[in-house]
Amino acid sequence: MLVYLWLKAIHIAAAMTWISGIVVAGLAVASGPARTDIAAAQDMRKLDAIRRWDRRVTLPAMLMVWALGLTMAMQAGWFSAPWLMIKLAIVAALAALHGVLSGRLHRLDRDGAPLPAALIYAAPATILGVALIAILAVTKPF
Amino acid sequence: MTAPSHAAEELGRLRRMRLASIAEGCTLLVLVFVAVPLKHLGGHPIATAIMGPVHGMAFLLYVWTLIQTVSGADFSGTDVVRMVVAAFIPFGGFVSARALRRRQALLTSA
Repeated sequence: MLVYLWLKAIHIAAAMTWISGIVVAGLAVASGPARTDIAAAQDMRKLDAIRRWDRRVTLPAMLMVWALGLTMAMQAGWFSAPWLMIKLAIVAALAALHGVLSGRLHRLDRDGAPLPAALIYAAPATILGVALIAILAVTKPF
Repeated sequence: MTAPSHAAEELGRLRRMRLASIAEGCTLLVLVFVAVPLKHLGGHPIATAIMGPVHGMAFLLYVWTLIQTVSGADFSGTDVVRMVVAAFIPFGGFVSARALRRRQALLTSA
């Protein structure tokens, strides 16, 4: 039981780190770089910082979320529970969204490629996904 | 930001994608050719109990890195399909790694 509680605590801390990283990346991608030279230089520095954070903190946090979450699910025997399947589908969608945003962060200052309209709503969609995950994980409705 | 730094960034991304391909390929080989025979022929289920999750994490990292790489660079649909299929075939990860190395070499020589 003590091990489970530690796994759960670290899982939640990693999830909060991961989600905050996705939201920051989503906002950065949605806002795009500035047009003027001075503002663009400032934006580039911010963009570099966000990219570094994404690579060194957000990605490891995501891997930790998956590893600890799957370990807990195996230990508790939850894999037959429908709520977990729905939660896993939402987490997989968030991971895919994170991958797309992370890739987009790298071309923001380069080719001016048009942003897919759906990515404008990446940050609010992430928050919605997290809310659903929290409801499913806490209430385990079915 | 200057063009050389873009190239350096892209090279870094391709290198990470190649490492993820090799990790995925290695763990799949160990799982299929070592852990599974150990379980079914040697009666050691612990081998798959360890290698299953290890390969699962390597696969997850590979898929995530693939999504990131194709979102950040211009890959053709055929290349993407080839790299997705490669993840499910033993030695496929190494084929992807070779293709990525060629792309790296092209970028370096450009």
